[in-house]
Amino acid sequence: MQLVLSWPIRLAVLAILLFSLFVDGAGYVYRIANHLPLTGNVQGLPPSFGGWQLYFHRGLDLAGGTHIDYELTNFPAGQSRPEVQQRTIAVINKRVNALGVSEPEIRGAGSNYDRITVDLAGVNAAQAQKTIGAVSKLVYTKWVKDDKVTNGPEPGYKPALTGLTGDDISSATATIDPTGTSWVVNITFTSSGATKFDQLTRDNVAACPGDTATSQTANCPQRHLAIWLDLTQKDLDSWEDSSYVAKVSSPYDSACLAAQTPDTVCGKFLTDPITREEIAGGQAQISGSFTQQSANDLATGINSGSLPVDLVALDVTQVSATLGAQSVKLSLAAGLLGLAIVVLFMIVYYRIPGLLASLALLFYAGAVLAVFKVVPVTLTLAGITGFILSVGMAVDANVLIFERFKEEVRAGRTITAAVDAAVRRAWPAIRDSNTSTLITCVILGFIGPSAVQGFAKTLAIGVVFSLISSIIVTHNLLAIVLASGSFRRQTLLGVDRVRAV
Amino acid sequence: MSELSDVEAEEQGADVASADGKAKAEAVAEPEPTAVREPRVRKLNVVGRRNLFFALSLLIIIPGIFSMWRNGFLLGIDFAGGTEFTVSFANHPTTAQIQGAVDGQNLNGSVIETSGGGYIIRYPPLNAASQTSVENDLQNRLGPMNVQQILEVGGTIAGETIEFSLLAVGLASAAILALLAIRFRNVPGGWRAGFQFGGSALLALLHDVFVLAGIFSILGKVFDLRIGEIDAFFVTAVLTVVGFSVHDTIVVFDRIRENLRVSQRLSFEQVVNLSIMQTAARSIITSFTVVLVLGAIFIAGGETLRGLSLALLIGIVSGTYSSIFNAAPLLVVWRRLQPLR
Repeated sequence: MQLVLSWPIRLAVLAILLFSLFVDGAGYVYRIANHLPLTGNVQGLPPSFGGWQLYFHRGLDLAGGTHIDYELTNFPAGQSRPEVQQRTIAVINKRVNALGVSEPEIRGAGSNYDRITVDLAGVNAAQAQKTIGAVSKLVYTKWVKDDKVTNGPEPGYKPALTGLTGDDISSATATIDPTGTSWVVNITFTSSGATKFDQLTRDNVAACPGDTATSQTANCPQRHLAIWLDLTQKDLDSWEDSSYVAKVSSPYDSACLAAQTPDTVCGKFLTDPITREEIAGGQAQISGSFTQQSANDLATGINSGSLPVDLVALDVTQVSATLGAQSVKLSLAAGLLGLAIVVLFMIVYYRIPGLLASLALLFYAGAVLAVFKVVPVTLTLAGITGFILSVGMAVDANVLIFERFKEEVRAGRTITAAVDAAVRRAWPAIRDSNTSTLITCVILGFIGPSAVQGFAKTLAIGVVFSLISSIIVTHNLLAIVLASGSFRRQTLLGVDRVRAV
Repeated sequence: MSELSDVEAEEQGADVASADGKAKAEAVAEPEPTAVREPRVRKLNVVGRRNLFFALSLLIIIPGIFSMWRNGFLLGIDFAGGTEFTVSFANHPTTAQIQGAVDGQNLNGSVIETSGGGYIIRYPPLNAASQTSVENDLQNRLGPMNVQQILEVGGTIAGETIEFSLLAVGLASAAILALLAIRFRNVPGGWRAGFQFGGSALLALLHDVFVLAGIFSILGKVFDLRIGEIDAFFVTAVLTVVGFSVHDTIVVFDRIRENLRVSQRLSFEQVVNLSIMQTAARSIITSFTVVLVLGAIFIAGGETLRGLSLALLIGIVSGTYSSIFNAAPLLVVWRRLQPLR
């Protein structure tokens, strides 16, 4: 145990202490000096190192917001699953950015790359699901004659996929149309999309030529190009079922589409404009009965691209910001109260050693909180519980040492020898018991659901630092303080008798 | 403590009695060991009275197991699946009015009153669209409503949570057994002794898990209390108790390991009892501080943490009891059934 008392170790502890003080304190000093909010992420706030900022990351149960676990289904055949999952995450990211959420967390999960977890602060569940699950794959169809069709935008005609979809669009913007009365979405096709679109419009015009404004015969259904959202071949196969067609052909319903199950039929119809002339150059406009909001939603949806898979929400959690703030307050109060009780108890029961252990405990708390900021560990209620529990573990290591210290003193050792023997003999128990806790943490961290993972992470960090705090800090403080003779009185040490040196 | 001053004590701390007040009150003077030079130890004969302590444990465990077998558990939403709204109403309707409104929706909803004047309304799983419409419908029926939390858990996740919990407890137990076997293989008896130590710790651990689960089953199903509901937090608590229980047991076993080395003249039972007495003060003090902290969370930590802190309180009290009165005595029983030297 001489190594523990050596100067390199002491300097290392001192370095940790200074670093913790800096991490814990510097931000608050700056914030107070500049009248900034005391908690949360303030853009560009020091201490920040190349965009890496130090502050407590609050989990959704403390900050308020929505957590959703999605399952990915209908993977496209022949593509690597991890890649599809990454692409889906990228699309969700783009869509979520449109919501203006600070630090959205979108992570892949699942042993088979079939899960995505989304954490959005300050967004309610309905809004989040609408944005993420928004179906926005544009599908262009042309009309083919089918006498059995009695319903839909063009009775007597059935839509056919043209191969032109939202994937052929490079950008979309919502604007007000030149007349200034309604909202439209302007789209620009990619070069291959432009070629396809050019071909389609040329075919349309060729189907019944003439000037659509003057000639009645020129306005045949084949000259229309319908635009749908997420229309599938399965929908087209059911086109002769008139009630089905009536539902699909109703204006697109984003809420219905976001929440659809295999059995629901949602409206997917956007518009069915006539082609006045061949359109080359890859520019087009979608008009319909848009509001500013719905035009913007559509443009955002098109821009973010389409999801390569279907998303099914497995669980959804929404916590209001007020409940989160209340939880922060309560757990803070509980934590401080707990710490105060422990410190009081240690000092009353163990006197000077107890006081030193309390100092070590404060070092421990400061260091752990600094680590939470630096890593960063997202703090949740379960995480805070893990931290408070690790305080218990830290106290235990001290209690083990002090009880042993009392025994060694009773056995007639000198104070200095007793401290050394106490630490040395308590060490195997401290080592083995904390190892078992760490093993439990690792198992939880790997196979637990996210709430339990947070708990495991904070507990594990806590256990590691509790070892440093008890074995190194308490031991050093004891050695330094007890080296001077003035504290070697039994009432101060909480022991039965003290052998003269 | 003056009678301790005549104790021969040099290199080992193996010869000092517990100074703890509680233990002293119940302390029974052990007949002097036959060997003249053996230290005199004041102690409670835990090992000798082990059947009494085993019986005390069974007194709690058996009703618990019976309740788990007959009634199962009151399942929280994490396990049962469904959609749960935590709300409060501006117009303060009565519970009966809310129950009436929820019944009127014909969605199999149920209403639970929380302590803060709020309500938890539970439905079978609802999708996003119907979530919004249910919310609007409630507002229509009961007036302005403040939604604090919405939880929705589908059947897949609920099943996975159960699977994960069993897996985690199983894995953690196996890992702990292995760790103890490795750590204690160098006591006399080698690997077999290591497994005796590991196995006894494991039994003590299962004792705590059964005490905790049994009490929660009784609280939830017999007394119909919502605090007895089991959810992901409960799983966290069980796993923490697993860690803590082993932690406590290891401290006792570590002392046995040390005393086996230094007190060759004592019988195995005497060594075990001595070690229990030497570590009892530490076990009780540590648990006492943890109980104080958990008590603070239980009282001041708010509704969300109440179930968790109660589970931890029960588990830690049980863990301390089992590490003192069950784990080491079990080791003695095991040693008798399977002697090593």
